[in-house]
Amino acid sequence: MDEATLRQGLHAAGYVADQDLATVLWLAVELERPLLVEGDAGVGKTALAAALAGALGRELVRLQCHEGLDLAQAAYEWNYSRQLIEIRLHETQSGTLRAADLFSRDFLLERPLLRAISGEQPCVLLIDEIDRADEGFEAFLLEVLGDYQITVPELGTLRARHRPLVILTSNGTRELSDALRRRCLYHYQDYPTLAREIDIVRLSLPQAAHALVEQAVAFVQALRREDLQKKPGVAETLDWIRALHRLGLAAVPDDAQLIRHTLACLLKTREDQSQLDPNRIRQLIEGRRAGVAEREAQA
Amino acid sequence: MNDTGAPPPVPVDLAAPGALPCADPLGAIAGFAAWLRDHGFGLGIAEQQAMVRTALALPLNRARQLDPCWRAIACQDRRDWRQWRDLFDRYWHPARTRGSTRVSGTTRPSRNLQQLVQALHRQMDEDAPGRAGGDSALTAGAVTEGDGGQRAQGGASRSEALHDRAFAQWLPQDLSQLEQLAAAIARRLRRQLTRRWRDDARGRRLDLRRTLRASLHTGGVPLQPAWRSVRRERPRLFLLVDVSRSMETHAQLFLRIARAFAGALDTRVFVFHTRLAEVTPLLRSDSAAVQEKVNAVTAGFGGGTCIAASIADFRTVHARAQLGRKARVWVLSDGFDADPPQRLAEELLELRRRGVRIHWFHPGAGVPGGAALQAVRVQGDLVEEFLRLDRLADLARIGEHLH
Repeated sequence: MDEATLRQGLHAAGYVADQDLATVLWLAVELERPLLVEGDAGVGKTALAAALAGALGRELVRLQCHEGLDLAQAAYEWNYSRQLIEIRLHETQSGTLRAADLFSRDFLLERPLLRAISGEQPCVLLIDEIDRADEGFEAFLLEVLGDYQITVPELGTLRARHRPLVILTSNGTRELSDALRRRCLYHYQDYPTLAREIDIVRLSLPQAAHALVEQAVAFVQALRREDLQKKPGVAETLDWIRALHRLGLAAVPDDAQLIRHTLACLLKTREDQSQLDPNRIRQLIEGRRAGVAEREAQA
Repeated sequence: MNDTGAPPPVPVDLAAPGALPCADPLGAIAGFAAWLRDHGFGLGIAEQQAMVRTALALPLNRARQLDPCWRAIACQDRRDWRQWRDLFDRYWHPARTRGSTRVSGTTRPSRNLQQLVQALHRQMDEDAPGRAGGDSALTAGAVTEGDGGQRAQGGASRSEALHDRAFAQWLPQDLSQLEQLAAAIARRLRRQLTRRWRDDARGRRLDLRRTLRASLHTGGVPLQPAWRSVRRERPRLFLLVDVSRSMETHAQLFLRIARAFAGALDTRVFVFHTRLAEVTPLLRSDSAAVQEKVNAVTAGFGGGTCIAASIADFRTVHARAQLGRKARVWVLSDGFDADPPQRLAEELLELRRRGVRIHWFHPGAGVPGGAALQAVRVQGDLVEEFLRLDRLADLARIGEHLH
């Protein structure tokens, strides 16, 4: 599969990828190396993995990372209840039971990492928000990402039947280790350009009026140039335009107050909301003309 | 990195008509890898081999796609990602980069990407059939590493100049090295035990609560006991930056240092002259206008410097609950204080009583002056060390002493 086909597949799965991103994904498939995608929250990192699974026709296996994530939640766990039942059954039947019988694949509960490497078909493994996991877990991942294998002390090393396509995402809340970075290809997902964001919105909200989409996206792009604590991502843009569409609007309204009431979709901190007063909103909508008009009116 | 930022050998633009055929494609890639290393990329042999493999895997008509492919291979973080476009263009398309082309009569290898890919494919075909060609190409790539290594050495020697250049003469692009150094120092800060334990003859300590919780999996039978383990945490860093008039020429760069540490470690940054204000949230956002924001924060402050009063404010109001054995306070100041001389020593003593370790960084050569610091020195061990901080080499050297 070349990158043009991949790009079309992503588009069919509802994801608008630019040429560079499609090339990097093609490279990750070609070299069978994990891809680390970094970027601000809401730029479409997780959606990329889901769309990629759709485009490649593979199952998506997702591991959501969090503080305190351990091996039992991420890779495998022994099914103790079944082991206990097995022991009791053998006690009643007076049969012999060896430890090796209890620690076989039958008693192993597969968690996302093990499921990804032991599946009958290759899959897309999404390791989401790896920066939230502890450093110790990162060290464990090195074996999975480098050699596509997991070592279970009681069983030995389990190698991947099919190498999964691994996508790791990070919001950059913590510095990842060099060892992890060196095992991955890297892509920094920035906020989309105006044209790309319009494409994304049109693909996701085909029912919204064209003028509304174009004006709203231009507004969000201008908003991102403001000095905000949390810049609105693509998900926020979609939410906002969906809200405006539900209000029955065919274009961004001139009423700054009305816009301000819907800005809860875009601005998620109190400081950002208070920074954007109606005057500033008007300036963002109308650009310099608003400022000039106001100055003239005051004069 | 050299001062002018020009790539080491004279480039030939890939878009230039009549560009020379690429005689040594592996050498060109090795040169590019060395060029990236010169600019702080952590590029190893494996990455270089992956670059060669990518060039071989790409059909000729898609040679331009080498750019995003190599970027994905070579970049390891956002800083690399942002530098890439400029570095790639300066190496492969020097004619597009104004002022970086030099004229010379000597013949140099072409840097035409399409020809490079073509030459690589040709080389692969000429070699033994099967994968041998690819392998030999990769081996050759590794051999030419030596070539690149020499260039990297050249880059390193040039970066020595930057290393010794006073902060005041730094260019904005040089600051990426500062960020790397801050990250390295932050990693080196030793993790400390949160609690000290006595050895127990009975061995490890059972964590009863966690053991009972874990036994729920096994129907209440505690098959897997959970043991208590010692916890280690990195120290908490507080930076107090003097932004008074006497520090005018150094404050901006000290703030950049503070920003680098704020990005690398959980650091709280304060600025002071007559009063103290926290600027940590301002440094966290990726905005170029940090200095303007800090100026806005400190706009209402009067003239002069009240170090002792600021430290008192820091101790009793801003960081009251966080000052303990794990806290490190770095004061970046020339030490000229308008408060009564003895007061600074008293305030530092209060900090020391709570187990805080204090380091004092000053921009000038020799021992910082001022009656307040004289009084501090008389007390003996209030400040762990007075360290000069005027150039990158100072910070690198200081890093070895900080723990």
